[in-house]
Amino acid sequence: MWVVIGILVVLGVGLTYIVVYLVATHAPVAPRRGITAAQLATLRASVYPAAYVKRAMSQMGNVGGAFALILGVLMQGSEFGWQTVKTTYVQLPGRLAVLGGRLITLGLLVLIMVLALFAVDAAASYSLGQIDGSSSAFPAPDEMARAAGAAWLILAFWAAFGFGLATVFRQSALAIGLGLAYGLVLEVLVFALLSGLGDSVKQVHVWFPVANTGYLIQSFGTVAAEGASGSGAIAATPDADATHAMLVLCAYLIGLVVISGALARRRDVS
Amino acid sequence: MSFGLSAANVVETRGLTKRFGSGVVAVRNLDLNVHRGEVYGFLGPNGAGKTTTLRMLVGLVAPTSGLATVAGGHPGSRTSLARIGAMIEAPAFWPYLSGRDNLRLLARYCGAPESRIGPLLEEVELAQRAKDKFSTYSTGMKQRLGVAGALLKEPDLLILDEPTNGLDPQGMADFRQLIKRLGHGDRTVLLSSHLLNEVEQICTRVGVISKGTLVAEGTIDELRGGAQLFVRATPVDAARRELESEAGADNVSVQADGAFGVKVDLGRAAAINRRLVVAGIDVSEVRPGERSLEDVFMELTGTQGGL
Repeated sequence: MWVVIGILVVLGVGLTYIVVYLVATHAPVAPRRGITAAQLATLRASVYPAAYVKRAMSQMGNVGGAFALILGVLMQGSEFGWQTVKTTYVQLPGRLAVLGGRLITLGLLVLIMVLALFAVDAAASYSLGQIDGSSSAFPAPDEMARAAGAAWLILAFWAAFGFGLATVFRQSALAIGLGLAYGLVLEVLVFALLSGLGDSVKQVHVWFPVANTGYLIQSFGTVAAEGASGSGAIAATPDADATHAMLVLCAYLIGLVVISGALARRRDVS
Repeated sequence: MSFGLSAANVVETRGLTKRFGSGVVAVRNLDLNVHRGEVYGFLGPNGAGKTTTLRMLVGLVAPTSGLATVAGGHPGSRTSLARIGAMIEAPAFWPYLSGRDNLRLLARYCGAPESRIGPLLEEVELAQRAKDKFSTYSTGMKQRLGVAGALLKEPDLLILDEPTNGLDPQGMADFRQLIKRLGHGDRTVLLSSHLLNEVEQICTRVGVISKGTLVAEGTIDELRGGAQLFVRATPVDAARRELESEAGADNVSVQADGAFGVKVDLGRAAAINRRLVVAGIDVSEVRPGERSLEDVFMELTGTQGGL
């Protein structure tokens, strides 16, 4: 678990700060390819503390989601792999208590993941700002707190999705494969293909989870010069607001927990 | 569902049945009676339904129909689990934790005091390797840790599913001694196995399951059907006629080596010998003999030449 969180933090800060800063400071200006000096300057400024929330939230799309999904799968799938499910179920707490304990632990791990990402991002942002002599003023604390809460909700959804898939399939490999395929490809691809059918498709899409993680991320603003590339689901203008996204993600989160609980309670352990 | 338990029984099932989704009936109308304080051997060939039955008794698998009461409660209920220690199939622990830490974690799950861990590790002779990771343990050590885990709750009923599987002969002998020690006193041990020698040495009563159905239950002596006379005589046909005339055809069986097993009061051995000699039959051996548990098992389960 700690390895997954550690890799995410290193990857997150590497991709969203170090690589972006290197590109902004070293990429040649090439107007014919659409790379202007102004764009590079904007990109450079996007790693400074003032843009900290937007930059941190951009990690909660595909990259953060994939790692949270893996975390959720491992939390439950490993127990099936080691067959420790049967060991714990013949102890005293009962199946639902065991499952509840795992879910609470998973929620705390996701919180640690979010706090670690935000902390390392803050350090990277502050350091790069200092190198360039930029202002070290971070966004207001309440905005950072809201962002951390939203980040937790997004990653908690992904973790619960992984946990639920591992419960359904009683293993890790298939759960990770299907979860990543859905999160990274399926929903975005299917709705992109159907988009030609008109607005009714959009009305359906706003109830799907990947789209709503995108709406929530986008509600904190997108990093200028990068467009909305933080998540494959983010459109230039979101089709739903943050409140809608939060409610939908909460509904999915609760639904996944209920399904996992029902399966754990009723199914035979063989 | 549970029902009123006879005072003498720790485990009692009536009509317990498990039908899987594929249509396979793993256990059919099982009526099991495990008495308090005994070491009960649950015998059956591979695939007979032993593990499915044990899983139903600890609540891992829900029965399709039938009733069961295990250690005073419904299978899988808190009342029942509080008094049961179980090792179903291979012992399952967290491979990245040491033996001691695995037991610590289990102790928290079942509310047992950590002070029990040290003596238990001594009991199963794992104290020297308690700090090593579970993944580095040999099969025998894993089995012993499994037993230690099952004993954490100081259970009234200890359920062990084929605990000597994968052990070498010395390991099996050591494990038998351990189970004998654990079965002393009021504790009941329910031991499933397909190893007849093991059951014969350890168990006080036996239940035999075949194709999901309990085909016999009783003490080992009851299953053997009492003593019999072993007779070797020639010519065989003439000897058989005389023996059947003396003891009845149903009580005479011809064994694989041509000798006869005669179910008869052993006090009649001299009279039978005299009758054969008078009839001109050469008698080379007359001695008390008894059917082995293996003979009984093969008759009951229809298995041939081993399991």
